[in-house]
Amino acid sequence: MPEVTVNWYIALAALLFIIGTMGVLVRRNALIIYMSIELMLNAANLAFVALARHLGDLDGQIFVFFVMTVAAAEVAVGLALIVTIFRTKASINIDTINTMKG
Amino acid sequence: MNAFGLAPLLLIFPAIGVLFNALVGRRFVQPDYYRLRREAAPDAAIAAHNDPAGEKWSGWFASLMALGSFAVAVLLALSLAGNDFDAETITLFDWFNVPAANFRVPWAMQIDTLSVTMMLVVTGVGSLIHIYAIGYMHGDPDFSRFFTYLNLFLFFMLILVSANNYLMLFVGWEGVGLCSFLLIGFWFDSVSNSNAARKAFVVNRIGDFAVILAMILLFIVFGTLGFDAIFNSAAERFASGEGIAIFGREVSVGVLLSVVTVLFLIGAAGKSAQIPLYVWLPDAMAGPTPVSALIHAATMVTSGIYLIVRSNVLYEIVREAATQGDVWLHSPNVVAYIGAATALLAGIIAFTQFDIKKVLAYSTISQLGFMVAAAGLGAYVAAMFHLITHAFFKALLFLSAGSVIHGVEHGHHHLAHDAAAPDEHGFDAQDMRNMGGLRHQMRTTFWVYLIGALALAGIFPLAGFWSKDEILAYANEYNIGVYILLTLAAVGTAFYMGRQIKLVFFGEPRHPAAEHAHESPPLMTVPLVILAALAVVGGLLNLPFLTAGAAEAAHNHPEGIFLALEGWLEHSLASFGLTEEGLVNLPLLDPASLNYLVAGLSLGLALLAFGLAFYVVYGRRPATAEEPDPFRSIPVLGPVIWWFAILPLNTLYMKFVVPFFNRMAHWLAYTVDWAFWHDFVHDNIIRDLFVGFARFSSSVLDRRGLDGGLVHGAARLARGLASALRVTQTGYVRNYALGLFVGVVALLAYFLLSAG
Repeated sequence: MPEVTVNWYIALAALLFIIGTMGVLVRRNALIIYMSIELMLNAANLAFVALARHLGDLDGQIFVFFVMTVAAAEVAVGLALIVTIFRTKASINIDTINTMKG
Repeated sequence: MNAFGLAPLLLIFPAIGVLFNALVGRRFVQPDYYRLRREAAPDAAIAAHNDPAGEKWSGWFASLMALGSFAVAVLLALSLAGNDFDAETITLFDWFNVPAANFRVPWAMQIDTLSVTMMLVVTGVGSLIHIYAIGYMHGDPDFSRFFTYLNLFLFFMLILVSANNYLMLFVGWEGVGLCSFLLIGFWFDSVSNSNAARKAFVVNRIGDFAVILAMILLFIVFGTLGFDAIFNSAAERFASGEGIAIFGREVSVGVLLSVVTVLFLIGAAGKSAQIPLYVWLPDAMAGPTPVSALIHAATMVTSGIYLIVRSNVLYEIVREAATQGDVWLHSPNVVAYIGAATALLAGIIAFTQFDIKKVLAYSTISQLGFMVAAAGLGAYVAAMFHLITHAFFKALLFLSAGSVIHGVEHGHHHLAHDAAAPDEHGFDAQDMRNMGGLRHQMRTTFWVYLIGALALAGIFPLAGFWSKDEILAYANEYNIGVYILLTLAAVGTAFYMGRQIKLVFFGEPRHPAAEHAHESPPLMTVPLVILAALAVVGGLLNLPFLTAGAAEAAHNHPEGIFLALEGWLEHSLASFGLTEEGLVNLPLLDPASLNYLVAGLSLGLALLAFGLAFYVVYGRRPATAEEPDPFRSIPVLGPVIWWFAILPLNTLYMKFVVPFFNRMAHWLAYTVDWAFWHDFVHDNIIRDLFVGFARFSSSVLDRRGLDGGLVHGAARLARGLASALRVTQTGYVRNYALGLFVGVVALLAYFLLSAG
């Protein structure tokens, strides 16, 4: 049984981040994209926590709280936006909101 | 106490007169003139002789200005007398100052006995003629213009005589030429008058050109144009024997001075009507008679003599040099012979003239010849003396002739309104053949004319006798050839004056106009009487037995000889000579004392010629205007003399010079100016170049460069960029997100790589 080192955590965080990124880039459902963003944020949180512990520095742990706070706020705003979009478009497919097309 | 400071007033008075008459004079003359003309009979001839009340203002103002100048001249003369006759220079301002060339010309007035003499003559005779002209020009619609010109003439003439350098003198010289032109062509609505004016101007330009050349030479030699500077150093410069480089050749100062003096002679020949440039003066009689008297007899035409007398130092140096063989060109002798030949030729031509003024014109040329000859002989005082007396009696003769013409014209007008009289056009009021017997109608004019004629003929004891005899005495002593020519000319003078008196005043009237002639108004006759008095006593200025003593006294007691011209002028005339000790200041030629033989001979010949003309040749004839001149029917002599009337230079010029000149002018006008300059140079070269450049600017620079390149180019660039960039704006969130992602990756990659 190999020892679980910090590298494993970082690798996991990177994996999660890539999954999240791909989710954001590929999916069209706004809610899924939100979930993917959360995944990316949490991948970063994971990296913070792992490295903080590894380095014995509390800064990373504290930073994670901030990230979670911001994420919560962002979700609150984002969900409100999605509700509003749904009301006007009757859809949450983000390809329908393309009026910025030049 | 002296009045030299007043000298500028001499010029300011006439200048004010010019401004007054030029600016407001017309307002005085014309409204009255036209009102009276309308109110009077529709006949213009009558209307013209009504009284435009305002013209007196114009005329008297001008005359007062002339009198003001005369008063200043008198004060200057008195100041000179109180100043031991020493010259005074009044510098008004710097005119030219070219430090690089060390060329400085101040506007300064030279007040010395010579210039003051000229000022007195110019302003004195000028004032009388101004007053006379008020009467003579009465009724002329351009009355104020006439007085503008007359005052302008005085202004320039006074600049000429008061100059203290050649350049300033030249300003006056050109100015009086201009006034002469303006006044000869005063009645320019007749073509012959304006032609005469142009002729005078063009011929004078030839002389002026010579004066310009002479000034350039003087500047090359002396580096200045001031009289004093040149005259004071001329003798030394000549004596030093140095050479001046002209066009790369060394030329001695003496030779250059001989050229300068000959050029001055040409200038004088133009202004003072000498061979070969005298041809303009007879034509100048086209001007109003007061002009003939003032400009073409008394003053302007004497400026050539003034120039020579003023440059006496230069002439004397050349005389010395030529006598010693240093210079081959004996310019003073050239001057003397030109003068003497002119005196004789013009005297002969005068025999054949019928126009009362033309006789006087040729007589003027002849008398100017006397003065030039005297100046050439070195008898500068005699030249000035004759200049002064001639100004008196010739102005008198011209003004009397004007009075005669005035009278005959009135007689003619009188006839024209007499229904019975034949209406004739082309009546010439100046033709002596239309006169005769005028002594009864015009008593005053007759007497003053007779005095003038006798003075001109040199009859004792009138002014002309003394001055002419002085010249003849000099000529007899120093140059016998000149003496013979001048004596013959003097005989001719007496003859043609006898002829004129006879034709005009004696016999029976040959034309009804002469019968109805009447005396001129006092405004005209009073100046005549004054001038006649001067013509009688003018000789007192320089009586020969006074001058001999005066010249001696001049060295000791200058103030004692104020009356004698010889002593008076000696202070302005310097004469240099080369002796064995070098250069010394010599006294002038010995003043000729009264040479009884010469005086007696010339007086006898003059009386003889006068009598011959009066009693023999023109004794009882011609009785009618159509009868040929009796002189012409004298065998041999008559035709020969008459031939002279045709021969003179005028004909030669008309035959050879003028056609050539006209062809050249034609060629210059039509070929050079029009065909080459306008058509070729203007149209082809200048215009096409300009149009080509304009076209280039418009189509290439403006449309393609500015419009096409900068303005439209910027727009196209912005549009192209925008259409390229709009492709990226898909409106799909994931695309923006991808961009964001790629950007972050790129930034990270950059930082990682650069940190590594």
